[in-house]
Amino acid sequence: MSKKQIILGAQFPGVNNFTVWSDPAAGSQIAFSSFRHFAETVERGKFDFIFLAEGLRVREQKGRFHELDVVGRPNTLAILTALASITNHVGLIGTLTTTFNEPYPLARQLATLDILSGGRAGWNVVTSPGAFTGANFRRGDHLPFRERYERARDFLETARSIWQGGDFHVRSPYFDIAGRTGAGPLPQGAPIIAQAGDSDEGRELAASHADLIYSRHGTLEEGQAFYADVKQRLAKYGRSRDALKILPGANFVLGETLEDALEKQKAIRLQQVSPKNAIVFLEQVWNRDLTAYDPDGPLPEVDPDVAVEQLAQGRAARYDNRLETARAWRELAEREKLSIRELIIKVTGRKQFVGTPAQVAEEIDRYVQADAADGFVFAPHLTPGGFDEFVEKVIPILQERKVFRQDYAAPTLRGNLALPQAWQPVAKAV
Amino acid sequence: MTQKSTFLVGFGLHAGAHGDDPDWRGFWSGLIGRLDGAAEFLTLEDRFADPGRDGLDAILLANWLAPRSRDIGIIAGAPLNVLEPFHVSTAIATLDYVSGGRAGLLAQRLDQQRSLDAGRAIGALKGFPAVDPPSLDRDALAAAEVVRRLWDSWEDDAVIRDVVSQRYVDGEKLHYIDFQGADFRVLGPSITPRPPQGQPLVATSWTAEADLALARAADVVFVPAASDLAGIVAKLEGDGPGTGPKVIADLHVKPDVADVADLIAAAKTSETQGARGVRLILTDPHRQIAPVVDTLVPALRTAGLVAQPPGGDLRSRFGLPAARNRYAAAA
Ligand SMILES: Cc1cc2nc3c(=O)[nH]c(=O)nc-3n(C[C@H](O)[C@H](O)[C@H](O)COP(=O)(O)O)c2cc1C
Repeated sequence: MSKKQIILGAQFPGVNNFTVWSDPAAGSQIAFSSFRHFAETVERGKFDFIFLAEGLRVREQKGRFHELDVVGRPNTLAILTALASITNHVGLIGTLTTTFNEPYPLARQLATLDILSGGRAGWNVVTSPGAFTGANFRRGDHLPFRERYERARDFLETARSIWQGGDFHVRSPYFDIAGRTGAGPLPQGAPIIAQAGDSDEGRELAASHADLIYSRHGTLEEGQAFYADVKQRLAKYGRSRDALKILPGANFVLGETLEDALEKQKAIRLQQVSPKNAIVFLEQVWNRDLTAYDPDGPLPEVDPDVAVEQLAQGRAARYDNRLETARAWRELAEREKLSIRELIIKVTGRKQFVGTPAQVAEEIDRYVQADAADGFVFAPHLTPGGFDEFVEKVIPILQERKVFRQDYAAPTLRGNLALPQAWQPVAKAV
Repeated sequence: MTQKSTFLVGFGLHAGAHGDDPDWRGFWSGLIGRLDGAAEFLTLEDRFADPGRDGLDAILLANWLAPRSRDIGIIAGAPLNVLEPFHVSTAIATLDYVSGGRAGLLAQRLDQQRSLDAGRAIGALKGFPAVDPPSLDRDALAAAEVVRRLWDSWEDDAVIRDVVSQRYVDGEKLHYIDFQGADFRVLGPSITPRPPQGQPLVATSWTAEADLALARAADVVFVPAASDLAGIVAKLEGDGPGTGPKVIADLHVKPDVADVADLIAAAKTSETQGARGVRLILTDPHRQIAPVVDTLVPALRTAGLVAQPPGGDLRSRFGLPAARNRYAAAA
């Protein structure tokens, strides 16, 4: 049997502590020259797509702006459309919420991106509920939490009917709209749809509607379990196992030798988790002001506060059961004799491929062939040069192994991902 | 001569101007290649929800054109009554970054018919205006105010990258805009740092039916050359001579561009009536671009009206001062 071809996405390093700003090599997070450098590098490396995350409100901690991490980003669709102008092959996937957008304006913008890029547009559909982000938008917090995926599904169906071109008329639980658009049918039929939700509803939406999943299950075992779970959901929607690609988010660290790479990884993790940031992470679970604690000292003996409202705002909430998380962290810290900062470095890491270029290439390939993933969305820790070495050294090895393209085979993102048409347009009313 | 060197010329198009051309990308890339360097600015009106002729999203098109051009100012249209001002603000700020300070916003307040079409296309939603003229006026003014405040919500030196205090940003230099209008509120701050021009230029087209307030709040107002230009200039200068927005006269170019002499005469008249430049409205760019760029613009130059396009950011070309930040502590 021939080997699976690896899919590679390139996430522009953004608003979180993984993006190292204190390094002398860290460049502007907003200058167009940074985006240009990034896009040209990954296109030279034949990456499938560039990926941008979204956060529509500046994050806060204890009622103040969070100051420790990179913050500030361009408008997602605008910068992707600008990048479409200076690239020819690489896909352009933006994370955009269904909660603070409406179907006609957003579908029209994605159509514009698909047309101007010649069929390279993609949309990572997220549901971002909440009053915190809603404060920046006309409609405010208009959606009960449990309805966010119902609206997302309805939104996607509505967008599809707009992307067919011509007349659209939708009357559904969430939308009552009509009009006639001159754009469409689109170069790709529809933009590539990605999904990043992890709950049961999120996985179900991916199985019924998405072309890609951006997941946080990057280790071999977790990846395999997630992969199996999601792929088995496809059949009930009449979709083949190849119709949905699974791409965990991951990082990499390259070195001359394994020891060199591990040494670098350690230094990077210390930059990513500064002493103050270690306390901020701990506060997300403890939900108390812990600024009095020593980051290089032991964990607090006091328990998390589960009564009051969350102190951290504007992050994808990840600690549902704070008492349980605190108990597990204490156990781990005691067992391995970890300080607060050492513990946070350990528990907040994402999947990292660490080693020589040959070792990293080999491990990526192994994960993909073992069905832990169909590829990865890599986020480097530096802007804008974070992929320079990867493209120069890792990509050629993947190509030699015949698991990654020598050159783009198709003009569209859908074509390069070797995806079937995600859905059949119904006959267009003339 | 100094007076004449500030007389500007620009082009007016809409973001569906590719018309029946099946190669939209080819059309727009050819067009920007011809227009860049030929004049100071280009406006792209957005045809949101215009049935069957809604074209491309104008701000995104502008972001695509910007890297393909070096000099021309790009003023992108947004129908403020049907969009989120937060998204409009970050998208124009991005255009300013991508173009290196050549960005402007054409604030579109929709007329009655277009508002009805647009309202059907987005649905009846809380936080969006009713379609009667006073509501549309009030809303466009509020949305433009939000867009502008968000541009100022980061001070220019907010990013500090201070290793000693472990802080990337100085939270004291980010500001809530806390806008409360009749129909909606927006808290801020923006997610996009203050753009290169600080305040990208805000332009609007004069319509007799619209409230004066939106035009007065703009930096630049486009007015039909045939109308009572001098009267409108006076009206806009509510706080005395020189206080109003810059007025640019709209000249409609005939499809065959056979009216060069008439257009030059009209441009001269506009200048004497107080216009700071002209916008050449191109209704059939497929036919018009070549004669306009090769004949009309050189003729305007020969007539002494238009100097070679000056460099600098778009604000300075229009004679606007550097934008101060309303939230920065007074120096
Ligand atoms: C890997 C990953 C990346 C995500 N990126 C974003 C993002 O950039 N912006 C956003 O608003 N939400 C993001 N999310 C949040 C999800 O879209 C979703 O709203 C969240 O996971 C909660 O939904 P769930 O309960 O289905 O997981 C991300 C989630 C995951 C797992």
